[in-house]
Amino acid sequence: MDPQLTSLVVSQAETSHIEDTLERLVAETGANYSMLLDKSGQVIAASGDTDRQDITALGALLAGTFASSREVARLLKEKDFRVLFQQGVRENIFTELISEQWMLVVMFDKRTHIGLVKVLSKRATDELASILERVKLESRAKDQIISTNFRTSVEDTIDLLFKD
Amino acid sequence: MALINVAAREIHCKIVYYGPGLCGKTTNLKYIHSAVPGHARGDLLSIATETERTLFFDFLPLDLGQVHGFQTRFHLYTVPGQVLYERTRVAVLNGADGVVFVADSQQTKLREDIISLQELARNIQAEGKKFLEFPLVLQYNKRDVPNALPIEQLDHYLNSSIKVPRFEAVASKGVGVFDTLKAISKLVISKL
Repeated sequence: MDPQLTSLVVSQAETSHIEDTLERLVAETGANYSMLLDKSGQVIAASGDTDRQDITALGALLAGTFASSREVARLLKEKDFRVLFQQGVRENIFTELISEQWMLVVMFDKRTHIGLVKVLSKRATDELASILERVKLESRAKDQIISTNFRTSVEDTIDLLFKD
Repeated sequence: MALINVAAREIHCKIVYYGPGLCGKTTNLKYIHSAVPGHARGDLLSIATETERTLFFDFLPLDLGQVHGFQTRFHLYTVPGQVLYERTRVAVLNGADGVVFVADSQQTKLREDIISLQELARNIQAEGKKFLEFPLVLQYNKRDVPNALPIEQLDHYLNSSIKVPRFEAVASKGVGVFDTLKAISKLVISKL
């Protein structure tokens, strides 16, 4: 990953590719929910229960958990932990790393078998890795979106909102 | 790294409040949460110990609403300040677009401020980024305490080599909190 790249621009076409992959994963595993996060905790796309209100906080927390496990790996001189599994009474969460930069999260309950989630998530992460590789390349041409006008308007909004 | 989602027309940026233990990072977020209009803020999420010290991070999503057709969001995080949690700070810093370094103005805390700022520089460089080009602002907090160091001295020890915007603050009363937030968010947007 180019550390100097400041923004990841996900086009409409690539978003729908990502959503297709997530939807297929949810449909084939019978999971409740699936999402793609970047390592900073931003939710790039999600699929499944559409009434979830808490995905922003979930994204932040799950990315935090993964970042923390990466540090644990470092201390153990392990390259990284590619997969995390959280088992609950009702719901389970399976998280798999994609190209060191993103995470695929699958939430499922007892109707879904973990083995199936593992196998199909592997396929999904391979697909997502190649989509995200393209997204990264395209992100260099972002100037059409972030114009000077846009920056000025954001600054005005910041002045308007962030005050005592 | 900011995320620009063209299909959903959303822009997300991550800002991290960094600094030594008890310097007022969480206090900044609490004040912002209390003062920003309800429609622009999400819930403040804290992973803290029983004694209310930050264990992992605090998280506050802010929503600027539609700007030029794009929903623009800032996600504010704090790191745990205690020395023990260095690797946790690295984890939270991951993918940040900008940092507010909160320094404690008290004379007795200067050493901790310096060590923490040096650690921040190391951690940003470890991500492969150039520290001197990274969006950063300083906040000299606790300006109201009797043993607060003069600004010139703080500038000398903390800001003479990096020369970034710096703000005086009393975060517990909200003084300087929004000046700091405005500066870092504009800086982040300018680098998108």
